[in-house]
Amino acid sequence: MATVTVLRNPSTAAPLDTYDPGPFFCELLGAPDNRNRNLTTLWHHLQQMELPDLSARAKDAERELFMLGITFTVYTERNAIDRILPFDLIPRVLTASDWGLLDAGIKQRVKALNMFLWDMYHKRHILKDGTLPADLVLGNTNFRPEMSDYDPPEGTYIHVSGTDIVRDAAGRFLVLEDNSRTPSGVSYVVENRHLMQRAFPDLMQGHSIEPVSDYGERLAGKLAEVAPPSLVDPQIVLLSPGVFNSAYFEHIFLAREMGVPLVEGRDLYVENDRVFMKTVAGPTPVHVIYRRINDDFIDPEVFNKESLLGVPGLMRAVRKGTVTLANAVGTGIADDKAVYAYVPRIIRYYLDEEPILPNVHTYICREPRALAYTLDNLEKLVVKPVGESGGYGITVGPKATRAEIEECRERLTRNPANYIAQPMIDLSVCPTLIEGMVEPRHVDLRPFAVTGHDTWILPGGLTRVALPHGSIVVNSSQGGGTKDTWVLRGETK
Amino acid sequence: MTLLSRHAECAFWLARYLERAESMARILEAHVAFNRGRATDAPWAWILALYADEENFFKKYPEANAENVILYYVTELDNLSSIQGSIRAARENARALRALLPTDLWLQINDFYSRILAFTKSDFSEMRLSRTCDNIKRGCYAEIGVAESTLYRDEGWPFFRLGQFIERADQTSRLLDVQFAQRAAGMSELSPEQEGGFWNVLLRSASAYHAFRRVQPSGLKPMDVARFLIFDSRLPRSVAFCASEIVRMISQLRGEFRLRNAQRAFERSDAFLTQLQSHSRDDQLLARLHAFNDWVQTELTLLTAELGNTFFGHQQTTPEPVSTQPPLETSSFFQTQAKTSSQFQTQG
Repeated sequence: MATVTVLRNPSTAAPLDTYDPGPFFCELLGAPDNRNRNLTTLWHHLQQMELPDLSARAKDAERELFMLGITFTVYTERNAIDRILPFDLIPRVLTASDWGLLDAGIKQRVKALNMFLWDMYHKRHILKDGTLPADLVLGNTNFRPEMSDYDPPEGTYIHVSGTDIVRDAAGRFLVLEDNSRTPSGVSYVVENRHLMQRAFPDLMQGHSIEPVSDYGERLAGKLAEVAPPSLVDPQIVLLSPGVFNSAYFEHIFLAREMGVPLVEGRDLYVENDRVFMKTVAGPTPVHVIYRRINDDFIDPEVFNKESLLGVPGLMRAVRKGTVTLANAVGTGIADDKAVYAYVPRIIRYYLDEEPILPNVHTYICREPRALAYTLDNLEKLVVKPVGESGGYGITVGPKATRAEIEECRERLTRNPANYIAQPMIDLSVCPTLIEGMVEPRHVDLRPFAVTGHDTWILPGGLTRVALPHGSIVVNSSQGGGTKDTWVLRGETK
Repeated sequence: MTLLSRHAECAFWLARYLERAESMARILEAHVAFNRGRATDAPWAWILALYADEENFFKKYPEANAENVILYYVTELDNLSSIQGSIRAARENARALRALLPTDLWLQINDFYSRILAFTKSDFSEMRLSRTCDNIKRGCYAEIGVAESTLYRDEGWPFFRLGQFIERADQTSRLLDVQFAQRAAGMSELSPEQEGGFWNVLLRSASAYHAFRRVQPSGLKPMDVARFLIFDSRLPRSVAFCASEIVRMISQLRGEFRLRNAQRAFERSDAFLTQLQSHSRDDQLLARLHAFNDWVQTELTLLTAELGNTFFGHQQTTPEPVSTQPPLETSSFFQTQAKTSSQFQTQG
């Protein structure tokens, strides 16, 4: 095995000399009571580096992301401001056994959720026998009666999902949230790896890491599996809301990686319940649409009448089976924060298996006992509105001020059904370069699962890191950054 | 992979706006050159006349002085004829087209755009304008160059080329109309020695002086310069060169890419080229140069509309018949410049 032969000036501190992960599980060093993750190769590589040099290279790497346009866009009245997602150069590492567990657990979860959706849009057995409260689903704004009795190819509703996973102080993986509509972030997984390979080959030396760059090809393959039957060479397109969408870079990335046209609603039209795209050669039939537009906007004939982003008549074509939407319309009931609490029961119900990955314990505030407990323990709990995404509206009890707690109590009492509560998890940390020093910062993980006939999961996923000191909110809209995520092959050395 | 109509249109306008920024830099440079060695500066208002922008300009500025005209044609982002406005529009088209662009080209466009935005007022002072314009021109060359060496040659390429050459033909015909515009703006007739200097500047502004000298080792007759800039088949900025390139690109769409709907556009472009060439024998061309330029610009506008209808999915308007007779009456000097909506991208 090759070793790095950079000699460090012994009078300066090595990057990890002052690093202390405190009471948390550390993704590099291990659990607080047993700091032994055996990731010694990476540890040595880091220790041999000079902090100022590391900082300078980190800065170059971020500049490169900006110039490449690997950005999300914030639009103001006059200008488009491109921002990069801050990139931290110290990778987050998953061992082969970590990954074995995650891979099996997520496959199980996605399978159960797809079966759940089939049931919800057909006979609704699980509601009829009382395993799940009916109004939780049927009264949900994301429930789409228009999908009733529609049979999606391969029974797949959730073709692309992102499962948010955290790790507690003992190193146990827990599912925090499912994202079954249009989860984003996968482009950063691939681009972060490419950046790592260009900018920090010395850190990667001596590691055998599962590749991530075939995501586009895999995705296109899975989408072809769900094309309307008996097509030899289905036309796949990626449907984007357009350049003004903050995730437009990701849409470009995916279209390029899959080698499919990046279309907008205005490029498509429906005639005789078939979808066509407008090309220079005239109308061309479309068979699979990987859409990055929400249900509400996808077909003004059926949903939001004002939508200019969608395609009138699309749902007719879907129901006729001439085109497949990925993800299917109506998957929002599967990643609802209230339904989430029932997912372990959903897994047992449809698969007759114990969940491989546990949920974070969840109090459903619509239930009187859970509400009473939550109100009594607000300073210990994280309270989340069920409808929001992006980390908005969350009250983190242990970190909230008196006034914030009282405001939360007031909102909770007014509309308990809108909230769930969870104990605060001591999220694991990862060494992170902060202003020239290596410090512990909390991370989560979003692996991406792609399902056609069956499920494939991109090894690793997006590691988001909460950059402000002590913060546990990793969302990019709230000061989160990203890291390259390595899944090591076989045993670690 | 078939090319979306919208993407074809973006490729067309990406090239067109780049070419436009470059041409505007040439015109501003030309103005500075006209003033060199003169006792009193020529007024700037002729540039407004050249682009028929007077109405729009005077809505915003009280006076057509150097500062205002430069502002209008350089830094005004909402003005799609301005240098920064064109380059921003080019970048927006590139962004919409990003999935089809090589990373090298996108990097070049981004880098150029940020450099252009970083220019300060002093870069556009009359003192430094020439240098800045040169800088901009070279940035545009670099983008076209990266496009040339990296763009995949699918159907998008002919559309990129069409944008480039339609804009260039339009701009060369406007350059030939500078004298008309200057008189329209109230400048006095040139003395015979000034006349020589004028045509010299015009040639240099089209990067054509040395090429002209190779064909005409001595003398600089206005008629010869005009003919050279219009008809020379080897000069990359001549109207005829652009027109042949346009015909070649449309016939490539029709032939190699089997776009059968390209027939009408082909006929129109081919008729344009034929008629253009028929004027090379016209002894009175100089006298009716303005009307001729108007005709060129109108034909290019109609051709752009034809591309819009056939390939970009625009609403079909009643198609203009392919004309057989160019309207070449000697016209009044105060007929306005051609300016139609087809010179700007429709907002989708």
